[in-house]
Amino acid sequence: MFNRRQKKRPGHQLTEENRTGLRLSDLRPGETGRIVEVGGSDQFRLRLIEMGLTRNAEIAVDKYAPLLDPMELIVMGYHLSIRAQDAEKIVVKRIDR
Amino acid sequence: MTDNTFNIAIAGNPNCGKTTIFNQLTGAHQRVGNWPGVTVERKSGHYSFADVRFDTIDLPGSYSLSAFSAEEKIVRQYLMDDAPDVVVNVIDASNLERNLFLTTQLIELGRPMVIALNMMDMADEKGLSIDMDTFATLLGAPVVPVVGRTGQGIDLLKEKILRVATDISGKSRQLNIPYARDIESELDKICELFDTTEGDPHFTRWKAIKLLESDRETRNEVRQMKAGNEILSIAEQGVARIESIYNDTGRAVISHARYGFIQGAIRECVTEDLSVASDYSRQIDRILTNRWLGLPIFALFMWIMFKLTYDLGSLPMDWIDAGVVALMQFLSGILPDSMFSSLLVEGMIGGVGAIAVFLPNIFILFFIIAALEDSGYMARVAFIMDRIMHNIGLHGKAFIPMIMGFGCNVPAIMGTRILESRRDRILTILINPFMSCSARLPVYILVAGAFFPEHAATVIFSMYILGVLVAIASGKLFSKTILRGMSKPFVLELPPYQRPTLKSLVLHTWERGYVFIEKMGTVILVGSILVWVLGYFPQEVELERDYSNDKQTIQQVYSQKIDALDLKFQESLENSEQEYHSEMIPYTESKSYQDLEQQYSALKQSILSEQKEALYQVRMEEISEITEQKWIGRIGKFIEPLVAPLGFSWRESVALITGFVAKEIVVSTYGVLFGVGEDVNEENQGVISSLRSSGMTPLVALGFLVFTLLYTPCLATVAAIKRETGTWSYTLFSVVYSVSLAYTLALGINYFGGMFGWFS
Ligand SMILES: Nc1nc2c(ncn2[C@@H]2O[C@H](COP(=O)(O)OP(=O)(O)OP(=O)(O)O)[C@@H](O)[C@H]2O)c(=O)[nH]1
Repeated sequence: MFNRRQKKRPGHQLTEENRTGLRLSDLRPGETGRIVEVGGSDQFRLRLIEMGLTRNAEIAVDKYAPLLDPMELIVMGYHLSIRAQDAEKIVVKRIDR
Repeated sequence: MTDNTFNIAIAGNPNCGKTTIFNQLTGAHQRVGNWPGVTVERKSGHYSFADVRFDTIDLPGSYSLSAFSAEEKIVRQYLMDDAPDVVVNVIDASNLERNLFLTTQLIELGRPMVIALNMMDMADEKGLSIDMDTFATLLGAPVVPVVGRTGQGIDLLKEKILRVATDISGKSRQLNIPYARDIESELDKICELFDTTEGDPHFTRWKAIKLLESDRETRNEVRQMKAGNEILSIAEQGVARIESIYNDTGRAVISHARYGFIQGAIRECVTEDLSVASDYSRQIDRILTNRWLGLPIFALFMWIMFKLTYDLGSLPMDWIDAGVVALMQFLSGILPDSMFSSLLVEGMIGGVGAIAVFLPNIFILFFIIAALEDSGYMARVAFIMDRIMHNIGLHGKAFIPMIMGFGCNVPAIMGTRILESRRDRILTILINPFMSCSARLPVYILVAGAFFPEHAATVIFSMYILGVLVAIASGKLFSKTILRGMSKPFVLELPPYQRPTLKSLVLHTWERGYVFIEKMGTVILVGSILVWVLGYFPQEVELERDYSNDKQTIQQVYSQKIDALDLKFQESLENSEQEYHSEMIPYTESKSYQDLEQQYSALKQSILSEQKEALYQVRMEEISEITEQKWIGRIGKFIEPLVAPLGFSWRESVALITGFVAKEIVVSTYGVLFGVGEDVNEENQGVISSLRSSGMTPLVALGFLVFTLLYTPCLATVAAIKRETGTWSYTLFSVVYSVSLAYTLALGINYFGGMFGWFS
């Protein structure tokens, strides 16, 4: 009747050199970054990649929600929102303008 | 399929305008249903073009075909198993890159395809110009620029669909998305094995790609094949090689490659005039989702929504109410008094009428919700409220059905369709009944008014708060137990704001409202008949007391009193006339005459109303005894021991049972039980005083209120839960959970309240 518990999968471990890198959640509103690597569960990563958060994609942090949690991003010209806890799994390089 | 009928399927991202295009194509010829087994809406319709019939289906919006969500699974299964003759891929031209991701997968699936490049108006606004011919060549399918809203380009789209559908040599447009050499060589290895075994050659490359993506469904499918195990092992080796080369999963590598192809295509065909580019949505969002203004504005919108729903709805509500009453009176006037007329008038029309009055509210609510959805604000609501809903393991969007629950749980439960994941939907459905719907309010007003006249408002407000707290606590409990760990990651698109079109608002409102009407005609009708039957039979009941005798006695007593009064009045008149001497004014116009007459009529009035009161008392006792003998009363008596620990009498148990059909009925049941008649309203003093004198204490009343708040709202809600969860198990669970919770809390109140002497 009720859904069985799902098996925990390890997901994608960040590579050594990126583990200490800057995260998407570290960017402030108005800043832009380039995606270096996306960590987290397979499903989460794939969904993000499908939504265009691919390696080297440019991503701008537009703002945070009023209660400071989900954040609003601009990718490929459209607006996308993810939670800060998930943004922590995305390693980025800041692009200075 | 006959010669002159083709099946076409419309596929595309959420919000790309699929439904708009679908409506443009099929006009009025459409039907809304559900996909089997899931509660994703299934819209189908048909149209004719050049004497050919096109059966059209509007697939759910999806970002890809990876089969993560219910929608994606449906799209994929439909495209593969039902093999439509033409797939119309609707693309939002103002958001090309992301939209094309699905397109690459559709190309790989290899069904004949036409691309409808929608929202060309928005693309122009953004300063995009697209070289259509090159685009069509690159994608291997005709590309038709359209504006779904205005219908521009739809005729050309129909023409292209016809051409692709009738193109026998259709295989010519077999186009492949090219991958890097390492990947292509793995694909070749897998495809080779396929060619020598059975299976549709059409899907070979698609399946090979899916295997490199470690797609579970494809793997299961391939395992069934003759050379299945061999193919799987080759595929696994391939995946391992790719993963070691790219240091990433096969899935991610392939998705990256698709975006590579897309970026190449866009570079070739799209030029952007940056001087025109504007992002007006962003400007709007500077205010609507502003750090400080966002929440107050949202609260304001919610307030307006409620205000409109109830204030605007109350007018037609009164009309419907008056109409139902008039109809009932008319019918009982012309029909001879019989069982049939009672069934028709009191059972069916009365029962359904009681719910029909809510139709205006429901339609208005749906209309506003449709406007919020179509405008794009709903996504912002999810954005603003996610932080709060995340606490109970839900998605921000789940906030909307919760709010709707204050109005009516039925549309609220239907409103959970806006949630993508089934787990979120079920969780939201299970906690929704605790949001105190408007039907419970009359019960609160009646009972709180009777037992807590000084603090009625506080008591009622606490019921609402208690409901919210129970919903939150249950949400937490469920997400930690029966529904744990299946939450989808929060990845939410915030689409550009749009001015909603009236046509689509009306359509959306009607589609959802219709379901409610349907329910009134079925579940509620049956429930009303049931309550009627229980209250009507057995027709002949034995009464211990001779009520007509009692009534006669009362009448006699009072007519004697009046006779005595008349006599006294005559005497006083005569006395006073003898003392009267003035010649100027005739006696009958004198002051003393008038004083006497006034006194007389006041006395007579009070005697008459005393008589009325006494008769009424007897009548009430009579109806009460009659009801006790009817099935409904017998059931109440039978259940009484069960609810006795809560302090409830048989009356409460009857009221609660009938309240299961619809909570409003609790009030009218009390009316029947106390013999005050069917049409009591919450101000009715008769019921209030009878309630007080029935032996119920304020403490028991409080328990009764809590029970009313928490137990299953009504049959219609149960039907909605069944419909939306698709299973009886969740439906039964919901009923059992809420009834036991209601029982436990009411018991606790009675027990601890009695111990500490609250409200005694
Ligand atoms: N400006 C503009 N707006 C459009 C056009 N076509 C559709 N829309 C609007 O886009 C919004 C989404 O349209 P829908 O038809 O509901 O989109 P959908 O793809 O069916 O969405 P889902 O049902 O969520 O998958 C609506 O507000 C439409 O009015 C268009 O060509 N131009």
